[in-house]
Amino acid sequence: MTFEEAQKELEAIVQRLETGEAPLDEALKLWERGEELYRLCKERLDAAEGKIEELASRAEAAKP
Amino acid sequence: MKVEAIEYGDRKVYSVGAFNRGVASWLSRLPTVWVEGEVTELRRSSRWASVFFTLKDPDDGSCLGVSMPRGQFDALRLELADGDRVHAYGRPELFEARGEFRLRALSLERFGLGDHLAALERLKKKLAAEGLFAVERKRALPLLPTRIGLVTGNDAAAKRDVLTAVTTRFPPANVLVAETYVQGPRAAGAVVEALRALCREGVDVVVVARGGGSFEDLLPFSDERLVRAIADCPVPVVSAVGHEQDTPLCDLAADVRASTPSVAGRLVVPDLAQLQERLDRSRAGLERGTRRSLERERQRLDRAHERLRRAPRLHVERSRARLEQAAGRLRTLSPRATLERGYAIVRAQDAIVRSGRAVQPGERVDVELAEGGFGARVEETN
Repeated sequence: MTFEEAQKELEAIVQRLETGEAPLDEALKLWERGEELYRLCKERLDAAEGKIEELASRAEAAKP
Repeated sequence: MKVEAIEYGDRKVYSVGAFNRGVASWLSRLPTVWVEGEVTELRRSSRWASVFFTLKDPDDGSCLGVSMPRGQFDALRLELADGDRVHAYGRPELFEARGEFRLRALSLERFGLGDHLAALERLKKKLAAEGLFAVERKRALPLLPTRIGLVTGNDAAAKRDVLTAVTTRFPPANVLVAETYVQGPRAAGAVVEALRALCREGVDVVVVARGGGSFEDLLPFSDERLVRAIADCPVPVVSAVGHEQDTPLCDLAADVRASTPSVAGRLVVPDLAQLQERLDRSRAGLERGTRRSLERERQRLDRAHERLRRAPRLHVERSRARLEQAAGRLRTLSPRATLERGYAIVRAQDAIVRSGRAVQPGERVDVELAEGGFGARVEETN
């Protein structure tokens, strides 16, 4: 699942919950799923390390 | 043609003239070709049978001497100036007297910006017809790339602009930079190779960035191989080549075109602060929404409970109301209300008298009024 898919689903869940129309059972399930998606997004963000690397491509590009 | 050599024992030695003649004869068998270059050092004199100039390769500076019959040269009226680009049609030749190699030109055409543009336009049409630039091909950029590939020259500006824009918006971004030639005859191939190398290393979006330059400088970015490589790249490509007004063909093949390297940098990463805020807002909404659902559910329960509690009393009240209604109707129907209006009830021997024939003169009757009553005797009947 990509970050944007997770974020989209999370926001859809919040919208459904905020209408207050979900029956209790569904609301609790949605909440659980929402928390899971939130954790997933958070993990993706935390996984970025801010690494700038150089690829030694000049040598490769020079090869015939 | 036979070239004579003098023999000194077992050593064959050629005279300079013979050597030159030999080489000239061999060279003359080579085919006539078109050669492109820039004209420099043009020398023309009415005393000479030929005009002379040097053709220079603008990419690597290689030089080639050219001679051309003066009559033919003059007839073309090219008015060539130093640096003009031409296509010369001719064959290699050795000027035997001086042992100088050169191109003997038979024809000469100016090859200018217009020709470049025309060639570019033809390529553009061809690739467009193949659907390489079609909108349906354009892919969306990933919102949160795991690693960004950057193809750029070693000129600091474009690279720095992209990296600055990326890390300002999204400090934890991972970037893999492939420095390569972005100008000259090797640029197109080198950029293609850099693109492939980045994809092999694993990136989920690629930025191709090059600062502004002359029309010729940017030509490699309209090279067919490069344009195709960008269109076929397995991950989305953002092209930021040249300035806003330049449209190298790679811009058309890329999934997104950025007007500058900085814009490209901002396009490939999300704004971290905004993203965090949006996520946090979602999470707060999650809690708020769940609590709201719980609250609604509790209220519904409370309402049901309240109705349950009130049910018996309601029942009693309803019974009472029904009773009152019955009593009211009873009252309207009782003869008392009629008596109040001045009527009287007459009884004889406890039976109500409804007809004059039911009594005899002299018989005693009892009369009941609204208030009290009295006894009486019948005087006459009819």
